Amino acid sequence: MDAFQGLMSGFQVAFSLQGLLFVFIGVFVGTFIGMMPGLGPISAIAIMIPITYSMDPTVALVMMAGVYYGAIFGGSSSSILLNAPGVAGTVATAFDGYPMAQQGKAGKALAIAAIASFTGGTVSVILLMLFTPMLSAVAVSFGPAEYFALMFMGLTAISSLSDGSTIKAFISAALGFIVVTIGIDSQTGTSRFTFGNPNLLEGIDFLVIALGLFALAEVCTLILNRKDDTMSNNQELGSLRISKQDMKEMSGPMTRQSFLGFIIGVLPGAGATIASFIAYITEKKISKKPEEFGKGSIKGLAAPETANNAATGGAFVPLLSLGIPGSGTTAVLLGAFLVLGVQPGPLLIQDRPEVFWGIIASMYVGNIFLLILNLPLIPYIAKVLRIPRPLLISLVIIFSLIGVYAISFNTFDLYMLVAFGIIGYLMRMFSFPAAPFILAFILGGMMEQALRQTLTISNGSLSIFLDKPIALTLIGISVLTILVPLFTNKRKYTAAKAEKEQNIS
Amino acid sequence: MKKLLGTAAALMMLVTAGCSSQSSGGNTSANGEWTPSQPIEITAPSGPGGGWDTTARMASQVFEQEKIIDKRLPVVNKAGGGGAIGWAYVAGKDGSPHHMFVGSPPLVLVPLNGQSEYGYEDFTPIANVIADYGAFVVKADAKWDSLNDLFEDMKKDPASVSIIGTSSPGSMDHMQFVKIAKAAGVDVTKIKYISDPDAGGLTAVLNGSVDVYTTGVAETIEQVRAGKIKVLGITSEERLEGDVLSDFPTAKEQGIDETFINWRGFFGPPNMDPAAVKYYEEKFKELNDSPAWDEIRKKYGWGELYMDSEEYSEFLKKEAEEMEVLLKELGLARN
Repeated sequence: MDAFQGLMSGFQVAFSLQGLLFVFIGVFVGTFIGMMPGLGPISAIAIMIPITYSMDPTVALVMMAGVYYGAIFGGSSSSILLNAPGVAGTVATAFDGYPMAQQGKAGKALAIAAIASFTGGTVSVILLMLFTPMLSAVAVSFGPAEYFALMFMGLTAISSLSDGSTIKAFISAALGFIVVTIGIDSQTGTSRFTFGNPNLLEGIDFLVIALGLFALAEVCTLILNRKDDTMSNNQELGSLRISKQDMKEMSGPMTRQSFLGFIIGVLPGAGATIASFIAYITEKKISKKPEEFGKGSIKGLAAPETANNAATGGAFVPLLSLGIPGSGTTAVLLGAFLVLGVQPGPLLIQDRPEVFWGIIASMYVGNIFLLILNLPLIPYIAKVLRIPRPLLISLVIIFSLIGVYAISFNTFDLYMLVAFGIIGYLMRMFSFPAAPFILAFILGGMMEQALRQTLTISNGSLSIFLDKPIALTLIGISVLTILVPLFTNKRKYTAAKAEKEQNIS
Repeated sequence: MKKLLGTAAALMMLVTAGCSSQSSGGNTSANGEWTPSQPIEITAPSGPGGGWDTTARMASQVFEQEKIIDKRLPVVNKAGGGGAIGWAYVAGKDGSPHHMFVGSPPLVLVPLNGQSEYGYEDFTPIANVIADYGAFVVKADAKWDSLNDLFEDMKKDPASVSIIGTSSPGSMDHMQFVKIAKAAGVDVTKIKYISDPDAGGLTAVLNGSVDVYTTGVAETIEQVRAGKIKVLGITSEERLEGDVLSDFPTAKEQGIDETFINWRGFFGPPNMDPAAVKYYEEKFKELNDSPAWDEIRKKYGWGELYMDSEEYSEFLKKEAEEMEVLLKELGLARN
């Protein structure tokens, strides 16, 4: 069966009454669960698996895929409104989304996020449809050396994530690196910094750090400033309208990051998180007004939201064409496939074309559903901000606790959450930015892993990085992004770069 | 409506069971026969998904649906520490006949590595039900065609070949390779083992970053069918049955007299009542022989390996002794 015929049969599945219904159920449940602070796609998929047991596999998987990208789509709400990212992929969304909401433009921020998500999602489906068989080669092209180089490039973001002191940003990142080493070291099996406490053996979960440093720290600030009237203006929803000017500003990041996000999503292990961070920094680097980033920039919001949704589409490439799950979420999704007797892998397109093309075709439909579902709901979602302050604060605390407890049903994690909430608050008080901490925490673990794997393979020789063209290029780019600003006049550099970018596009 | 009634009935059962026997440890009849008096909690010492969790959930499902046990068997996840958190939880239920958990080789290996306070000898083995086997995989165009080719090169220079697996050194993926390689005469202390906990092992072998991937048999089938990888050898005693499976040569038929079983079974808390153990033993035998369980084994590619409590205890003791010797040789035992 050729691709066109396959796609047509896929659309037959997607446009059947049953298909439409279950895509809708999938994206509805996904986006709803995704909106809850602390609950992400993993919980959403895990909740839905038992429901699929007796369903037709194709329809069931179309629904599960909907749950997955629906959850990523909806995940931006809690980042924007409450500064409480529920999954790693939406941390970068909070950088500019939350300031925007605080400026009384919550409605607009949510609308931008929805449109950016839709664009990223749709572009990635098109790329998925056209290039999946070819891209499966790209998905396995990254070995440990290449991953190390990619993470290294992500780290160059640290300096751009600080709006004040660069030194403080580096101190914060160093803390993140220290915290991520806690737990069993996978290369030797030795436990590090666990102090004999078995609860620390697995290390500290991302959600504990994210909800602690962002959501609880924010709650502390809100409680302490509760008498401050200047904070009250953030109850405004603002207008939903996106002006032509805004649209123009968004279109650049949306186009670029749809493609970049997709490619990063294709690489197993990189995924939505790294895609969103790299999107954020590239846009900041090429922007004419980088100083707006972190203070409610439209570009700063649109870029990571486009990228994380595009990466979600990209993640289906290794999953469907190789049977390799690139992240915890796709691993659970792979489990759902297996339960239904469908084995993703190189033979899926031949053996079960209706499943393969059905999922892809349904993603077009699903993304449209998500846009239709999310845009009219914005005023209602944003009403969260109208909830009286004391009640809202309590709700955020409760949701953070539930989200963290659901990781492993362990009360120890809750104490850790509170501890990181306090650390987060202290960091704010002394104006240490939290973003470099979490970036180092996310990248640090994988980076250390990759570096040590690489060096074991090469018997300790660093020359392995010179032998791998992709790794060498990525490290080269990273070194340049660090060095160039040191040598040239910073303003001149950014202006020239932006101009160059315009010439290209 | 039917479903609703079912749920209501189940709830009622839970409530009545909970009320009637808070303090008692089940019903023991005059002739010493024991039956459960409340729901039986099965702990999966991991998060949802994965071997332990799937085994627990499937066993619970078959027990309930086939009415082998007329009590509910809820599954709880206690993730963390490679199993250590879940084991500590069940160890705390000393003597309870209404708790059990799913165990496999890490229950022997992790304590030997010094990462868990509790080991297999602290618990009451109930029954083993499943056997899985290890497979050693290389890229389809690799220069080795058999385990002997590979081990010949490794005997000359063990560090010239890199091995990747999901678990950390001293745990399952690593040890199954070490066990076979040692029997073939390779200097196992010099083996270059890389761990990728994010399951990137297959990717690393496909793109040529690493030479050999050590994993479970079931994980390889799809890639072998697609002609992307080849299986040099598996760790079972005899060839397995099944479509692609029967093509995989065992280490044994290649002249390496060694096997590795990834066994999976159920354990009770310390000091479980022998009458209760006897009850469960029989129930697991019934589960093992049921067509419903056979279907599940086929679906997940699991092999059959039933052992009752006594056989299981002896098997585990032998297993632990062998592993301790190997781990000591590698310098990974921490005692």
